[in-house]
Amino acid sequence: MTSDELTMDQRRTPAPRSVAPDTSRIPPALLLHGVQIDRVGEADPWEPSAVEHLDHLVGRVGPRPYGSLDLITVIERAGLTGHGGAHVPAAAKWRKTLRGGGPLTVVANGAESEPLSAKDATLMRQRPHLVLDGLALAAEALGADRAVVWLHGDDHGTAATLQGALAERHAARLHEPTLELVRGPSHYLSGESSAITRALHGGPTLPTARRPEDPRSRNPRTLVHNVETLARLALVARGYPPSATMLLTVLTPVSRMVFEVPRGTPVVDVLEGTGWLRNGPPQAVLLGGYGGQWASWRDLRSATFDEPALRAAGLSIGAGVVAPIAHGACGLAETAAITAYLASMSARQCGPCLFGLPALTDGMRALAAGDASRRERAQLLEDLRLVEGRGACHHPDGATRLIASALEIFEHDVVEHVAGRPCHESERISLPVPGGHR
Amino acid sequence: MKKHGSTSRLRIDAAACDGIGVCAHLASEVLELDRWGFPIITVRDLSRGELSAAKRAVRACPRKALWIETSEVPSVVQRAPGVTTPS
Repeated sequence: MTSDELTMDQRRTPAPRSVAPDTSRIPPALLLHGVQIDRVGEADPWEPSAVEHLDHLVGRVGPRPYGSLDLITVIERAGLTGHGGAHVPAAAKWRKTLRGGGPLTVVANGAESEPLSAKDATLMRQRPHLVLDGLALAAEALGADRAVVWLHGDDHGTAATLQGALAERHAARLHEPTLELVRGPSHYLSGESSAITRALHGGPTLPTARRPEDPRSRNPRTLVHNVETLARLALVARGYPPSATMLLTVLTPVSRMVFEVPRGTPVVDVLEGTGWLRNGPPQAVLLGGYGGQWASWRDLRSATFDEPALRAAGLSIGAGVVAPIAHGACGLAETAAITAYLASMSARQCGPCLFGLPALTDGMRALAAGDASRRERAQLLEDLRLVEGRGACHHPDGATRLIASALEIFEHDVVEHVAGRPCHESERISLPVPGGHR
Repeated sequence: MKKHGSTSRLRIDAAACDGIGVCAHLASEVLELDRWGFPIITVRDLSRGELSAAKRAVRACPRKALWIETSEVPSVVQRAPGVTTPS
């Protein structure tokens, strides 16, 4: 694929449309425009990207209203769900927070740990004030003592944009809670909500198990929302109908494309727009990234990007990552490389994760190489069962779900590999898995 | 048998557990060790006998990684549909 063709494709991408003025009946979109970025690393766009300043935001959608507790019914009616991957209703999280009585910290989680995902960084770099408005609203509504934007320590571009935005708000003398920018470590689990909670209370940035708590206790409370969730809150609180769009990060052979599509957009349209269908359909698509799951083209060719519909088919878009692999790539080898990466990103606290993920990696590598004995294959299946649901956080569950989906979607390859006929490509990894290139 | 239809379950904080294994020695009726030496709970809702075994394990854990969670609502999965709750 040449870069010229890619530019053409980018123009055909459905998402990059300008934000509707506030007089329009169409709810404003989240992104100003789609961007193209490198396959790995920071979300620095290839073309210079606009940053929405405070007065631009106010001009587009009006000033931020005061955050009152009535917002809980507003977000419930709007059906606002989390956009960090788990799709939990935001109102349920607010109710749970309100049951406690201790000092409250509200967090805008911008630590996008999934290595392929870049939609949160892109959103914060283009519309920092929309995210900060959402954070201020949640902090006011719930009477928070502290409001924090949490970022990976190595996300320098996003941090610079947010620092600029915070300075703008300070200069504008907005009446709002103090918003802090906190940069955590850069590792994978730094974006996990219990790890953030622990770090903000002076502990290490590591996940914790949820232990039972006396609801009347005065223990500190922490509410963690994904930054896209808060950006949507900022629009819903202004009286806009909930925006029926999704932010996607699509991996192409040369880049990642981040853009916005109407919910319900056919998967075919998105893959066509990103150049994936030029040489026929992909072999399979990794949905949700490295902690996500494989989907076959047969399942996806008539599917749409709509989370409830995907769930009904046993799939999930997670945090909006779409990573197809071409025919010729070996799905088992790709999965083995991802499993090795997930094992290396374990917090090394829980036995089933610390020992289980390396064991799963060994099993997947043997399967990919075509020399897995009957005993090793049985052990792989046994370990999947053994690891599932036994960590303090869901990190190991991401690995087991990924492998289980690989064994199903690449079933034909499993048979061939076991018969001593591994794929030609099983030595090469097409996904940009950190440490996966040989 | 169960007071007010409450159910008790044994829970593990996997981050606190170091795989010492005392629990499985003391309460083999509710726990077993996986191939790496970390406990797996084998019983969902504990009977009275299993509850006392579970309590032994909770008390003995050097890492305080175990606890018993008691809920007032009886477990739905335990009861076949259509069966009424004995009062």
